[in-house]
Amino acid sequence: MTNEKVDIVIVGAGASGSVYASVMAKAGKKVVLLEAGPDWELSDLISSEIWGRRIKPAGAPILLEGKNPMGYAAQAGWGSGGASLHYFANFPRLLPTDFRMKSEHGRGHDWPIAYEDVSFFYDKVAREIGVSGDARAEERWRPAGEAYPMPPMKTFRNGDIWIKPLEVSGIPMVPAPVGMNSVEFKGRPACLYDGWCHVGCPIGALANPQVTYLGDARKAGAELRAFSTVTRVLTNQAGTRVTGVEYYDDKHQKQVREASVVLLASWSAQNPRLLLNSATDKHPKGLSNSSGFVGHFMMTHTVASTWALFDEDVQNHMGTIAVQYMSYEHYPKTSQKEAFGSTFWTAGFALKTTDLANSRPDLFGAELDDYMKRAARNLTGIKAFGEELPAMENRVELASEKDEFGMPLGKLTHTFQPDAVALWNANLEDGEKVAKAAGAKEAWPARGAIPTSHLLGGTIMGTGASNSVVNSYGQSHEIPNLWIAGPGIFPTEGASNPTFTLFALSQRGAEQLASQWGTLTN
Amino acid sequence: MASIGRRGFVKGATLGALAFSVGGAEVLMAPGEARARNVPFRLLDGHQGETLEALGETLVPKAREAGIAHYIDQQLSVPPQESLLQARIFNFRPPFAEFYRSTLLTIDDRSQKLFGKEFAQLAAKDQREFVDRMRQNKIEDWKGRPAALAYAVLRADAVDVVYGTMEGYEALGIPYMPHIAPEKRW
Repeated sequence: MTNEKVDIVIVGAGASGSVYASVMAKAGKKVVLLEAGPDWELSDLISSEIWGRRIKPAGAPILLEGKNPMGYAAQAGWGSGGASLHYFANFPRLLPTDFRMKSEHGRGHDWPIAYEDVSFFYDKVAREIGVSGDARAEERWRPAGEAYPMPPMKTFRNGDIWIKPLEVSGIPMVPAPVGMNSVEFKGRPACLYDGWCHVGCPIGALANPQVTYLGDARKAGAELRAFSTVTRVLTNQAGTRVTGVEYYDDKHQKQVREASVVLLASWSAQNPRLLLNSATDKHPKGLSNSSGFVGHFMMTHTVASTWALFDEDVQNHMGTIAVQYMSYEHYPKTSQKEAFGSTFWTAGFALKTTDLANSRPDLFGAELDDYMKRAARNLTGIKAFGEELPAMENRVELASEKDEFGMPLGKLTHTFQPDAVALWNANLEDGEKVAKAAGAKEAWPARGAIPTSHLLGGTIMGTGASNSVVNSYGQSHEIPNLWIAGPGIFPTEGASNPTFTLFALSQRGAEQLASQWGTLTN
Repeated sequence: MASIGRRGFVKGATLGALAFSVGGAEVLMAPGEARARNVPFRLLDGHQGETLEALGETLVPKAREAGIAHYIDQQLSVPPQESLLQARIFNFRPPFAEFYRSTLLTIDDRSQKLFGKEFAQLAAKDQREFVDRMRQNKIEDWKGRPAALAYAVLRADAVDVVYGTMEGYEALGIPYMPHIAPEKRW
């Protein structure tokens, strides 16, 4: 195995790492992606919820604690494509208010950039990888931008049945933007609407990295090394620059890869783990951590689900796992009287048998079997995603236990603050009202443990080293050739799905990195 | 995919069946078929298998026939990164076998305390009563991971083998519509 110095080594071949790999390889840079898991191909993506677990992490590199532990393994990735190999490809964006929460409400953080700094890149990503939707319809809630390159996806009765009851409840819906093909796009086929998106789309209708950025990166010469687990980022003696990474290869042999630039793109929990484990005498608290904020302000979304059984066949086996409709109507931070934070409403999604069973976790035995038969054609639901504010105590730290390479495990402690709990409860109450207006035969809110969705924070962006870990491009405030990408750099999370924004931020960061390459590496 | 070193897994992933040991050779078959052919367990002992079948059947009718014990046993025998068990999604730390072994011990211990017999020997109505108490975390002196969590994981396993297969979809009248179908209807 050769380990010659490269221009950029990227830790993690998921969504954000793939964008950087594509941009930098096309710019003529020598790029190596080190990926801890396998290098998946489309032909590996079997249409089965059981077999689909292969593309998720095994084991527990991240220990979960707190009153509301993060549903980590269900959402994380393992292998090329990362979590975006099994993501739902919902592509809503943040709104202008998300970038200035501190200024407008005295809560959370401001971003060091505005919506207008990102909007160009939303449009660019949409053109690049393909987004289906109706931009004009969305513009009742956001500034105007380019039309999406494809029309909205087909809808089915499991989504359509909710439109009127949501409307009369004061929640108007519009077609949801998704990273899926409603028509053929750049040689990739249109979606078949069979609902297997979440175990990986093998036909390329869904914009996973394999058929978009990662594929482009490889064509441009980027190299991906699978089963390569990075354990430390290395620095020079003065601690002023990173020099490469230490990793264990597919034969569990320790290796060093030197690079002019190191990009951490291994998701919100692993990036802080690596920074903390790379401490030196010059960086005793870990790299880029003079603020003490590395690993802090971890955030996730609450999910308020309302389930309903109808007399009619709602075709719940049809569609995609992404949603058919969305609404920002309750997005203003003070929409709920007794709670603070944005809410993002969604309706219409395909269900698999696991979803049917999980919609009534209290049932077992003959009652469950009877319910499954009724739910098979008649169950559908709506979901409201709720914002959680950044809290210092929600954090990733190094645990005393170690992994097989001797690296301390990460420990992710997460507890929803009272605002998030109040928002979740308020959204469940709204959902019940909507279900009543829909005339459902039976309807119930999914109470119990508060579901967690997405994982953000831990390496937040800001204006300087005193209040954040990186700048708005993802560049470390303290070590200029150390960059970080992914949802971990979000200082607040909004309520909408984060992947479109992380693609846009990664595109923006990667172009900045390429443009300042000469000054950065000399 | 770059090989991760187990022929049985890679073939199983392609063919959609699991690799069971029969007469010293690995044979690909669905768990229900393995049960019907009385394939020996790899890790479980007979009592553990019997208890898992009784639990599975209480949680989801037909889980015994679908081979829940053979499914869990085979999956516990492969490296965790190849495992298809729900324990993976519940973020359990490997080896997953520890959860099943300790949970089965606790279940028998508490079943003896509550009903005077091990779980597999209980009448169906008592098995149901026991599982319902598990679900609600209402079993005194339960040891190990919370009873409600054990209920959730075991229920999810039973849901997998009964409803998660192509046959399970067909029984519910749901079109499976695969892009890449697991062979042998699984």
